[in-house]
Amino acid sequence: MSRPKPLVAAIAVATIAATALSACSGSSAKKSNGGSGGGGTGGVFTSIDANNKITAGAPMNPFNAAPNMFLGYNQMQLGFTKNDPSDPNALLPGLAASWTASDAGLTIQLQPGAKWSDGTPVTVADIKTSLAIAYTQGTAGPVASAGGTVVAGSNFEVSDVKDLGGGKIEIDQQPGVKNLYFQRLVLTSTIVSDKVYGGQLPADIWTQIAAVQGTDQAAAGAAATKLAAEGKTIAAFAPAKDVSAGPFVETRVNPGEALLDRNQYFYAASKISPKQVILRSYSGNQQIWGYMNGGELDFAPYTSMPTNILNQVLGAGYTRVDAPSYVSASIAFNEKQAPYNLTPVRQALAYVIDRDAVTKVGEPVGGIAAPTTTGLVGSQSDSILSGDQKAALNPYKVDTAKAASLLQGAGFTKDGSGKWHLPNGQPWTITLQTVNGFSDWIAASTIIANELTQFGIPTTAAITADFATYQKEMAAGKYAVGWWLVALGPQTDKAYARIYGSADGYSVTGGQATHNDAAPTNWEHTPATYTVNGQSIDPGQLAAQLSVTPVSGQAPIVAQLAAATNQELPMIQIWNYTHVVFTLDKRFTNFPKTGQDALLANPPGVWMMQGYVQGK
Amino acid sequence: MAVTANLAPTGIRAGRRRPALTAFRKAVTRKPGRLIGLIIIVFFVLMGICGPWFYGRLAVDPNALYAGPSAKHWLGTDFAGSDVLQEVVTGARYVLATAALSAFFTSLFGVTVGLVAGYQRGLTDSVLMRLTDFVLTIPGLPLLIILSTVWSFGSPWEMGLVLGVTGWGGVARAVRSQALSLRERGFLEAARGLGLSRRHIIFKEMLPNIAPYATMQLMLSMIAFVGAEVGLFFLGLVPFSSTNWGVMLNQAVFSGGAMETPSALIYLLAPLICILLLTLGIVLFLDAIDELFNPRLRERV
Repeated sequence: MSRPKPLVAAIAVATIAATALSACSGSSAKKSNGGSGGGGTGGVFTSIDANNKITAGAPMNPFNAAPNMFLGYNQMQLGFTKNDPSDPNALLPGLAASWTASDAGLTIQLQPGAKWSDGTPVTVADIKTSLAIAYTQGTAGPVASAGGTVVAGSNFEVSDVKDLGGGKIEIDQQPGVKNLYFQRLVLTSTIVSDKVYGGQLPADIWTQIAAVQGTDQAAAGAAATKLAAEGKTIAAFAPAKDVSAGPFVETRVNPGEALLDRNQYFYAASKISPKQVILRSYSGNQQIWGYMNGGELDFAPYTSMPTNILNQVLGAGYTRVDAPSYVSASIAFNEKQAPYNLTPVRQALAYVIDRDAVTKVGEPVGGIAAPTTTGLVGSQSDSILSGDQKAALNPYKVDTAKAASLLQGAGFTKDGSGKWHLPNGQPWTITLQTVNGFSDWIAASTIIANELTQFGIPTTAAITADFATYQKEMAAGKYAVGWWLVALGPQTDKAYARIYGSADGYSVTGGQATHNDAAPTNWEHTPATYTVNGQSIDPGQLAAQLSVTPVSGQAPIVAQLAAATNQELPMIQIWNYTHVVFTLDKRFTNFPKTGQDALLANPPGVWMMQGYVQGK
Repeated sequence: MAVTANLAPTGIRAGRRRPALTAFRKAVTRKPGRLIGLIIIVFFVLMGICGPWFYGRLAVDPNALYAGPSAKHWLGTDFAGSDVLQEVVTGARYVLATAALSAFFTSLFGVTVGLVAGYQRGLTDSVLMRLTDFVLTIPGLPLLIILSTVWSFGSPWEMGLVLGVTGWGGVARAVRSQALSLRERGFLEAARGLGLSRRHIIFKEMLPNIAPYATMQLMLSMIAFVGAEVGLFFLGLVPFSSTNWGVMLNQAVFSGGAMETPSALIYLLAPLICILLLTLGIVLFLDAIDELFNPRLRERV
C-alpha cells in the first residue's frame, strides 16, 4: 500500500506525458483566477515534489537526469496541462498568456512583464534556445523523414521561431508535418534562459535541426547523432545559479530540502503569496505520512496509503482532494510462455481474481476496482463507448465455475487434491512478479496469490529488486505474469500504445504500425490480429491510427480496441488509480478543490500562478 | 554369571551418562534465567517444527484489514486481513531453519579450517588464515543484497548456505587459537608419538575438546544470522511471503504505517518480540553452556 516514489513518479509522469495538451485557441488560454494577490505575505510553504526527488549535488538544470529543478516553482513552461480527455489541447497559461493555432504552427503571446529572476525580460531568444534544446533531448524531431504527413508519439517538429514584436512569437511547424499535438508539445516544453543555456549550444544548431528534418537520410542521421551528443553536454551542464522565470527561484539545496525564494520579477508576482517554498526530501511514503501527522506539509503529493493512515492524516487537519488519474494497474502476460498464450486461460484467471477484494487490500484509498478490462480507465471508456458497446463488454465478475469450465475446455485437468494441471499433465503454478517498494502491488499480489491458490493454481508473489530491473527483465521475457501500468491516458492513443505498442512489438511511423514479434522490446507477444465479432482487426494499427485521429473521430476506433482488449485480455485491469492529494488549511488557504481537475493535474506552483494558495 | 555379565556394561554406561546429564541439569537450573532461556529455545524450536501443523493455509479477509486483537485473531490481522499469530507461528520455521543451517555450514567450514590450520601450522595455516581474513572482509549484508538480485532465497537452504559460507571466518579464527593451544598438550603429543594419523588426531582427539567452545561460538553467530536474514526480508529484497518475520516488519512499517498509527502496531511488535525473545533465549542459555564447558566456572560453583 505504501507505494514508494518510483511508482508514484511513474504514474504521474506517465499521466502528464500522456495527457499534456495542445492549445488550439486563444479561448483556451482563459485564466482561471482563483484568488487575490498575495505578494509574498504568506510565509513559508512546505511541500514535497513526488515527481522529482531532491538529489544532493545534482545541477539546477531541468535537462539533467535528476535535476534540482521543480516544475511550477522554478521550472517554467509556456503552458500547463489541464488533463482533459475531451480536449487534449486545453492548457492553463504559463509564460504564454495566450496562443492561437494556425496551419503554419502556433502564435503565442508572452505574458506581459515576463522576466527572469535576474531582472531581464523573457524574449524570443529564450523560446528559440529552449525549443532547440528539446531537439537535443529527444523530445523534438526527427520524424516523418519518409515524407509522412503526421507524427505519432510525443515528438514535435519546429522549423523556425520568429519574433513578431510586442511579445508575440510565431512557432512554425515543419512544412508537411501535421502533428495533432504540436501546440501542446511546444507549450509544455521546458523554457530556459538563453543567457544561461545559449552558450551551451553550437551556433549552427538550427542548421542541424534543418538537416534532421531534411530528406537527405544520411545528413539527417549525422545531424541526429550530433544533436544527441550535444544533448548530453546540455544535460551535464551545471549553471552557477538558478535563473528562473517561474514564481520562485532556488536559493540552495541540501540533502534534506530545497529552498526556493519568491521571484520578485515573476510576471504575476502579486499573486504569489508564499515568500518561500521548502521542498523536503523523503525516503519513502511512511516519511511523508510522518510529516503529515505533524502537520508539517502544506501540500502532500499522492502517496498510496492504507485507510488507517488516511484517517490519521485527516485527523491531523488535512483535506483530501481527488482528481482523475488516467492510470490503471493490471496483471499482464507474456504470451510466448504457455499456457498464457491461450485466451481461455487469461479469461479464466480474470474470472478467478476478485478485483474488489484485491483493490481493498492493495489500493484502498487511491484505487477503484476496474469495472472490466478495456485498456482505458472506467470513466474514460464510459464517456466514449455507447450504451450497447458497454453492455457488450464482459465484466468478468468472479465466477470460478466459469473459470473451471474454460480451463477444462482448453484441456486442463484437476487432480484429486484440487490442483490444476496443464494440458500436458504438468502441474500448473504461477509466479506473480512485482517490484520491491511498490507495496500496493505487493499487497495485492498476496490476495491474488491466495485466490488463485484456493482455486487450485498454486501461486506465489515474487519481487524484483527495483523498477529499472523489473522493466529490463520483463522486456527480456523473464516473467510470465506480472504487474503493468496501462490506460495511460487521457489520450486514448497513449493508452492503447501502452498495450499494443513497443511492448508488443509494434513501431509506429506516420500513423502506420509495423509489427515485429522478434523486437527486443516485445514481451507481450500477442498475436498480430484478433478476431472480434467476426471481424479481423490489427490492434497495433488501430492504436497507431488513434494517434493521428482527432478526439472527435476516435470513438469507433476505441470501440474496436475496447472490445478486442475485453475479449482477448492481453492484461487484466485490476484497479484504476485516483489522484488523491492532501492540502492543509492551516497556514495557507484557497487551495483547489475536488472537481478542479485542470489545476489538480499540476503542482502547487501552477496553482499559485493562477492566484491560488494564499497565506492566512 | 550371565546376569552379571549383562549388568556390568549397562551399569558402566549408566554411570557415564548420569554425571553429564546431572551437570547439565545443575547448570541449567542453577539460575532461573538459564532455565528460562532453555524454555524459550525449546518453545521456538517446537513452534518451528509443530507450529504449521496447527494451521491450514493462510486465509485473507479484505474486510478486516489491520483489525485489532479479538477471540478469532489473538494478535489481530495484517494488511490482507490474515491472522498475525498464524503468520508468526508458521514463520518461525524459516527463521529457525535458516539459522540452524547457517550454523551447520559455519561449523562445517569454520571448525574444519580452524582445526586444520591450528594443528598443521606453517604454510597450511598461513593459506587458510589468509582465506579466513578474506572471508572476514566480505561485508555480509551488502553481499546478500547483491546476491538477492540473482538468487531468490526462497528456501532456507539457500539463505543458510550463503550466511554460513560468508559467516565462518570468526569461528575459524577462534577455533584455530584453541587448536594451537591444544596441540601442545600432553595427550596430543602422546597421540603423535603413538603414530596416530593426522585425521584421527584432528577429528578424534582435538574436535571433542574444541566442540563445546565451537558450540558457544555458533550459538552467538546464530543471533547474527537471525538478524541478517530478517534484515534482508525487512529491506524487501527477497521473496515475498506473508509469514516471514522480516516481511511482516517491512509491511508493518512501510505499508501499514505502524510508526505513525497504533492500528498496525501489534503487527509490527509480534515478529519483533519473537526475534527479541529468541535472542534473549539464546543469550540466557549460553550462560549455562558456558558453565557446563568451562572447568574453571564449574570449580568455582
